Amino acid sequence: MSRARTALRRGGAAPLFEERFLEAFSNADGPSGWEAPVRAKVVEAVRDAVDSLEVDAMGSLVARIAPAGGRARRGPHVMLCAHMDEVGFMVTAVEKDGRLRIRKVGGIDPRILMGQVFRVGTKGIRGVAGVLPAHLLSNNDMSKVVPIEELFLDIGASSRNEALQAVSLGDLVAFDTTYESWGSVRKGKAFDDRVGCAVLASLVQKRPPVPVTAVWAVQEEIGLRGAAAAARRVSPDLAIVLEGTASGEAPGASEGESQPRMGGGPTITIQDRSLMADARLTELLQKTAKARKIPTQWKRPGVGGTDAGRIALSGAGVPAAVVSVACRYIHAPAAYLDIRDPRRVVELVWHTLEALGKEWA
Amino acid sequence: MPRSNNKSTRRSGQADWSTDEWLRHLTALPGVAGHEHALVPEIEAAFRLFADKVERDRMGNVLGWIHGSGPSPRPRALLAAHLDRIGFLVSRIERGGFIRVVPVGGFDPRTLPGKEVVVHSKQPMVAIFGTKPPHLQKKGESEKVIPIEDLYLDTGYPEAVVKRRVPIGTLVMLRQPPVGLLKSRLAAPGMDNRSGIAVLVRTLQALRDRRPAWDVIAVGTVEEEDGQICLGARTSAEALRPEIGIAIDVSHGDMPGTREGDTVPLGGGPSICMGANIHPGVFDGLRSSARALGFPYSVEVTPASSGTDAMDIQIASVGVATGVLGIPCRYMHTGVEVVAPSDVDHCAALLSHYLVGLEPQWRATEVLK
Repeated sequence: MSRARTALRRGGAAPLFEERFLEAFSNADGPSGWEAPVRAKVVEAVRDAVDSLEVDAMGSLVARIAPAGGRARRGPHVMLCAHMDEVGFMVTAVEKDGRLRIRKVGGIDPRILMGQVFRVGTKGIRGVAGVLPAHLLSNNDMSKVVPIEELFLDIGASSRNEALQAVSLGDLVAFDTTYESWGSVRKGKAFDDRVGCAVLASLVQKRPPVPVTAVWAVQEEIGLRGAAAAARRVSPDLAIVLEGTASGEAPGASEGESQPRMGGGPTITIQDRSLMADARLTELLQKTAKARKIPTQWKRPGVGGTDAGRIALSGAGVPAAVVSVACRYIHAPAAYLDIRDPRRVVELVWHTLEALGKEWA
Repeated sequence: MPRSNNKSTRRSGQADWSTDEWLRHLTALPGVAGHEHALVPEIEAAFRLFADKVERDRMGNVLGWIHGSGPSPRPRALLAAHLDRIGFLVSRIERGGFIRVVPVGGFDPRTLPGKEVVVHSKQPMVAIFGTKPPHLQKKGESEKVIPIEDLYLDTGYPEAVVKRRVPIGTLVMLRQPPVGLLKSRLAAPGMDNRSGIAVLVRTLQALRDRRPAWDVIAVGTVEEEDGQICLGARTSAEALRPEIGIAIDVSHGDMPGTREGDTVPLGGGPSICMGANIHPGVFDGLRSSARALGFPYSVEVTPASSGTDAMDIQIASVGVATGVLGIPCRYMHTGVEVVAPSDVDHCAALLSHYLVGLEPQWRATEVLK
């Protein structure tokens, strides 16, 4: 115990969380299956820092980085994973009058779409989700949420031909949100899971204490798919998934419902709908946090699911844990996070890797 | 508050601006009903570029005068476009620093969750209408519209900061930089009725060079969106005693799902309204101008109420001969009101053609004997 404590304290300094990665990744668009624009930004961020970099058959980005101080493999081979995709939409049809029909990719509340602005494709086309004005609606219609199948995007075209000169069927559609900051608040889209992507890109800027394979996975939001394939290829000894998770804070929410809180420090998962987190790994995260005086909080059990669920079941099984940044309003046009949280996640994960190098059997 | 996306908010209007630039500028300005003073300096600056005289009356209306070329005393034509826009007021701060608001004007609550707003505290703040992520929702929850009173704003700041910086009654406005669509169409909140203000600016610009016989007073009116009467229209018409009063406001642009007759085509030029609120002579005159110019236009039938400033202008003073011109606008009272700048241009051209053609001796009152 005392020896472990000393070891925890002695480690090298963790790399810094790079906010510019978060900004670049958040502003890039990548609904599940169309992560290429995000992947390009990640490649740009990590290319010079890692030993090898590959795009697998599904589109996930896999980087290997050996520990500092030599080729000798020290400690367990750790897979760190964050997903690149976001919830979004795809253009499924163009109406005769030039309006676009869209279908959702991932879990989205239809109530946040009416009256919103979207980016369509990658050429800077904008579309607005118009709804009939209140003046022309009966009270009955006003109390009806427009389902996504009935929603349309107005890009300004008056005919199918006009529209098809600017967009194509299958174009990706993303919320038109720009990254911004005030106080310790950061606002942007797709913090689930661009914050994890940025944490991971920051972590690999320095040679880690143990062999690491970093995976920026595809298709998490449509069934934890990219990580499943990647984990089988990487075949790690254990895995830590880095996420942006939902804070439950809202007016009137109970203390319990409000957990985890934005700004409350790294959020550690005990259990969710996809995973029983590996207890030893979770305990080590807790111990490291305590030694480093990093505040942590628990994710509310029983809700959500992450790539860790798939990774844990891959091959002969992989002990897996999840460390998240608690964000408000994920899966919505704009989310919030507290910039202190991803900084602490980088620190916590780094020092946990150090501890793993010394303690993990 | 982070840097503004819209640089034009820091620059007053310029004489050589395109209509697109005017619309981007005007829609970015504040001015929730009852609080128009926040944008009055910008409107004065805009009118001053082209008007002979610019005044602000005691209600806060902004008046831009073009002196006519006819013999004195000259009849007056009043052009009214309302300055105010719909918005919210802060009603209370909840535990956790979440803000509740009451609407000023008619919002569709369905279009608000997830939207960004500006809270106009002394140091303005950005906030979001909070939403519950699907992960935490109960089954069926996503099918229920959230009424405005159950919505809340989140600035991300802690409760203490919010309580210190955001007094009850602070104004809140949708925050959506103008979005350029295909065919030069523009989406922004506040097109109702800043596009009408743009028509006034453009009309003053045209009349400066082609002077009408009549005096023309372009009025940016206060408080159209809130309350029982169109306050600024009523008071300015009472004070000015015009012979003719023309309201310029947005009309519903064509949208799928509407009935024939409820809308006018976007990009199809201004709509010329007819109905009880409109003097047949003014309607005829406006339509003749449209025909003479060969511009596209539509006729919009508004049988009883036109729902514009003209309702109050008509009954002001000893009665005023009124007209109503509409700028087609889709998705009214949402954050994405869409207008075609060409419709604004055509509306201003039509209006100035009509005003220049007014006979010096025309009077609304017919003397029969």
